Formats: sequence, C-alpha cells, structure tokens
Amino acid sequence: MDGSRPIAASESVRVVLEGRITAHTAAPIWQSAIAVLEHNPQRPVVVDASRLEYVDNVGLALLFDLARRERSPGAKVQFQALTPDLASLVSRYDPRAFDTAAPSRRHLGMLEQVGRAATRELAYLRELTTFLGECIHALRRVFTQRGLVSWRDVLDVATETGANAVPIVLLTGFLMGVIIAFEVGLVARQFGAVIFVVNGVGLAMLRELGALMTAIVLAGRTGAAFAAQLGTQKVNEELNAISTFGLDPIEFLVLPRLIAAVLVVPLLAVLADCVGLFGGALVMSSFEISPLQFCTQLLGAVTAGDFALGIIKAAVYGLTIAAVGCHRGLETGAGATAVGLSATRAVVTSIVLVVVIDGLFAVFTG
Amino acid sequence: MTRPLADHATANRAGSPTAISVRNLRVGYGARVLLEDASFDVHRGEIVVLLGGSGSGKSSLMKNLIGLYKPLAGDILIDGVSLVSTTAEEKTRLQRTLGVMYQSGALFGSLNVLENVRFPLDRFTDLPLPERNLVARMLLAAVELAHAEALMPGELSGGMLKRAGIARAMALGCDILLLDEPSAGLDPITAANLDRTILTLRKKFGVTFVVVTHELQSIFAIADRAIMLDGRSHSIIGNDKPVALRDHSPDPRVRQFFNRQPDGARQ
Repeated sequence: MDGSRPIAASESVRVVLEGRITAHTAAPIWQSAIAVLEHNPQRPVVVDASRLEYVDNVGLALLFDLARRERSPGAKVQFQALTPDLASLVSRYDPRAFDTAAPSRRHLGMLEQVGRAATRELAYLRELTTFLGECIHALRRVFTQRGLVSWRDVLDVATETGANAVPIVLLTGFLMGVIIAFEVGLVARQFGAVIFVVNGVGLAMLRELGALMTAIVLAGRTGAAFAAQLGTQKVNEELNAISTFGLDPIEFLVLPRLIAAVLVVPLLAVLADCVGLFGGALVMSSFEISPLQFCTQLLGAVTAGDFALGIIKAAVYGLTIAAVGCHRGLETGAGATAVGLSATRAVVTSIVLVVVIDGLFAVFTG
Repeated sequence: MTRPLADHATANRAGSPTAISVRNLRVGYGARVLLEDASFDVHRGEIVVLLGGSGSGKSSLMKNLIGLYKPLAGDILIDGVSLVSTTAEEKTRLQRTLGVMYQSGALFGSLNVLENVRFPLDRFTDLPLPERNLVARMLLAAVELAHAEALMPGELSGGMLKRAGIARAMALGCDILLLDEPSAGLDPITAANLDRTILTLRKKFGVTFVVVTHELQSIFAIADRAIMLDGRSHSIIGNDKPVALRDHSPDPRVRQFFNRQPDGARQ
C-alpha cells in the first residue's frame, strides 16, 4: 500500500513513506505527512523511507518539503533509510531559495482600473497624434521623392481592403436604408407625412450612415487585419530586419496602407450610399411612394454638399482606421497573445475614434 | 532490503522493457515521403538521439511518435500499446505519459513561467497550490530558471524558453521525455548543464529520453544510442552507439556527419 502513516513513539514521531510517490499519488501522502509535522511541533520526526519504492519529481518535492520545514532545535525532521541518490538530490536544493511566496496576480479595484484605463487612453491619444504627425510627414515626402512608396503594395492593400469588402458594405448599407425607411415610415404614416421619410433617408444615408457604417465594417475588417499583420511582423522581428536594412517601417509598411485606406473608404461609402437609398426606395414603394416620386423628393431634399460631407468623412475615417490599426500593430508586445490584444485594441480604438470624429463633424458642420 | 532507487525506478515502470517501438513506419505528408520503412526500439531508461541533416524528417518523426500526426504506414507502440490503431481515449492516455519539449518551448503566452510549469500539475493532480508551486519551482531551479518564474514567455530568450519547456515537460514525472533540439541556441555552459540534467533524470528517475539534436558534443555526452536519418534515401542509415557510428560505420555519410566534414571531403 502506498502512503504514509504516523507511528506514535515515546519521544519521536515516525512518518513512514512507502510504495510509489508520483504526481498522481502524492497529494494524500503529502497532506498526511505535513499534518503529522504540524501536530507535533515539539517532537522530533523520523521519516522512514525504507519501504519507498519510487519517487518522481513530485515525490522528490515532498521529501524536500519535509526536510526544509523550520522546526524547534529538539524537534528536527530526520530521514531514515533514504538512499544516497535521493539524499543527494534533496540536498541539492537550497531551502532558503524557496522561502518567498510565489507571486500572485494582484487584482485591481474598480476605481483603480478606471483611473489606469483613463491615463492609458490619454497617453495613447498623445502617441497616436505623434504617429499621425510622422505619417503626414512621410506622406509629404511621397510627393517629393519618387519610389518612396511601392504603388503595387498600395494596389494590393486597396484590393484587399476595398474590393474584397464590397459585399459586406453593400449588405450593411442596403439594410441601413431599409431599416431607417421602415422605422421612420411607420411613425410618419400616422401623421400623413410619409413623403418626408425620403428626406430623412436621404440625409441620414448621405451625411451620416453611409460613411459611418462603412467605417465600422472597415474597423472590424481592416483595422484588425492591419494590427495583426504588423503585430506578427513585429513579433517575428521582421520590423527589426526592415529597420536594419535602413528602411523606415512607416514608409515601407504604414504608408501603403494609409494611402489605400484613404482612397478606398470613400469609394465604399459611395456604394453604401447608393445601395442604402435603393433599399429606402424599395421600402417606400410599400408605403405607396413610387421610385419616381422618391427620386424627385430626394433631389429636392439633399444637396451636393451633403454628399461631399459624407465622402470627406469617409476619407477621414479611412485615415483614422488605418493609422490606428498600423500603430496598434507597431506597438505590439511579445508573443502570440500580444498580437491578439493589438487586433482587439485596434478595433475598439478605431470605432471609438470614428464615433468621436463623427460627433465633431456634427458640431462643426451642423 | 534497500536496492538502489535507480534499479527500482527502471524495474517498477509499468509494462514492457521497450518504451517505444517503431515498426515499418512511413513518415511524410501526403505524397511527400520523408522516411520509409523505419523500425527501431527505444528501451526503458535509454537515451536515444535522433539525428540527421536538415529536412531529413527528424521533427516529423517525433511528431508521429507523440501522436500529433498519423503515420502514412506502419505502427508505433508506446509501452506495447499501438498509438496508431488505438481508441481516442487510449491515445490521450498514452500521450499523457509522454513529456514533450517543442523546438521553441511552446509555452502558453498568457501564463507566466511558473504558471506554465505548474499547468500540468494544475490540470492532472490533486495537490494543493503551495505544493504545486513548490514542485514547479524545484523544476525551474533544476533548469536554472528560478529567477525567471514571474516573467511572461514573451520576455524570455530562446534558451530560457527551451529550458522552461523542459521543466514543463517534466512536471508530471513522465516515463518518457521527448526533446526537440533542446540545446540548439544555448550557450555551452547551459547546454552542458542541460546534458547533466538529462543524465541525472535518467539515473535517478529512470526516465527514457528521445532527443532530436545536431549538437555533436551533446550527442557524445548523453546518448546511449544514436539513430541517424537520411533525407535523400528516406531511411535510417545508422543505429548504434555514437562512438561506434563515428569510427566504424560502414556508411560514409554517417562518418562524415560525426566527423563534421563538409561535402566532398568524405574518406
């Protein structure tokens, strides 16, 4: 039978270790041995290892744990019949090295968490501004120096970011148009003002939602991808390799993505506008507004300025998403977890920034 | 009646005297065959080194041995039980008896070093936390990483990652440890210490080792037997004591490898 059992003696207490003590059998033996030691603080303890058949490293840790316990001078732990091999293994470890408690993770209070998060975000905004400054500086050089940016890279990124995102942008844009028209239409019908729903759909799509929905889709799709790509390159030391070749990671990796995003997001927003208006027109026809009526009313309701505002917003959103994605990628820490974290942060930060920028636009152009 | 523990250790291990038995194995990926008709045994308490040039299929063979990939043909017996044709549960049980250190350490990025080494103990034993911590920290001390227990894997150097990987592989006191290039990228002192750790583990705990390595010094220091794979002929071209292979192998490629000669300088 494996295990340990105390045998009461007149003076010393015996702990008999027997059988095989391995990772899978050690727990009860360990606990009872420690219990014997703790119940007899003033008596010497003899650990009898004569019937011990085998220990693995967990069993070894058990022996070491018994040997290292601090006891009063007359109550030491003594080993009996411990093989020289094992004795030398046990004595190889220095008890003092294991005195300190293992570090545990400190849990933060809510207030501290909020405070830390706020400072972190503020510091991040400052970093991002500096980064944007560097990007704009690099962008200016693109127009003065030839061959600074590989236009082939720009095209590749534009295809991935733009062309491949068309289906999802079409779907979300269409659904936005349908939903707004339907929700507002139901209310407007009660007041006999169904025709003005066209104004609402037109303004909302062109000024706000076309660009905003595209930006949110792109933040999830492209911002995360940029952060993960650059983050992986950082983890694999590709960024270091680029730097040692004398190349600037910003020119080499960031600029193509920024340029592509700024060019492509407005185009996607135009698509979202068109398909959103189309969705609106479809729903309005069920409210007995014909497509022709819809067009006439729409042309009277929106101006070229509304359309242009949406496009400008889209370009700014594109710049923001690409910059945040790239920056989060470049500041990735080490390891696979860090890449995931960067991607998540890129999405969260870019969506928050897009909404904030949208608010600023509303204030200054309202 | 006190027999030396090492004898106990080897004698008391469950099952057959053969820890791993490889029978007519074909290793590869789809149509790409890396190793054809390979057969060898690894005995209990033995340290066997798998070696061969880059691309000769050492790591792939090891991934077959630990059941990550299914061989294209042939069989692998762990403790006499087939890893290839067994049930999924039995395969999992067999895999748990193997401790594996992967080339890059393969530590979990979200856990610190101590938590990584403790992970198998957390999952598969009933030990209380202080005891698990002690076991894990003794393992870390054995691979000279005691000072790094609170660091995250991302903060470690390549050699530290490997050593932490070995400590984790040893945590459950596994019968068989498989190490993929343990000493590559380590400084000579650390590599020598690692060799000593391997020898100690074998002596005191009767652990069986399968080690993939190129390091000649390490091979001569630890290996009972070296099995050499050849990428061109997709076969085993040497299976003997390292010294015997170096001095008396009939195959010039084996002698070339052990004498560290460039191509064209074969005797």
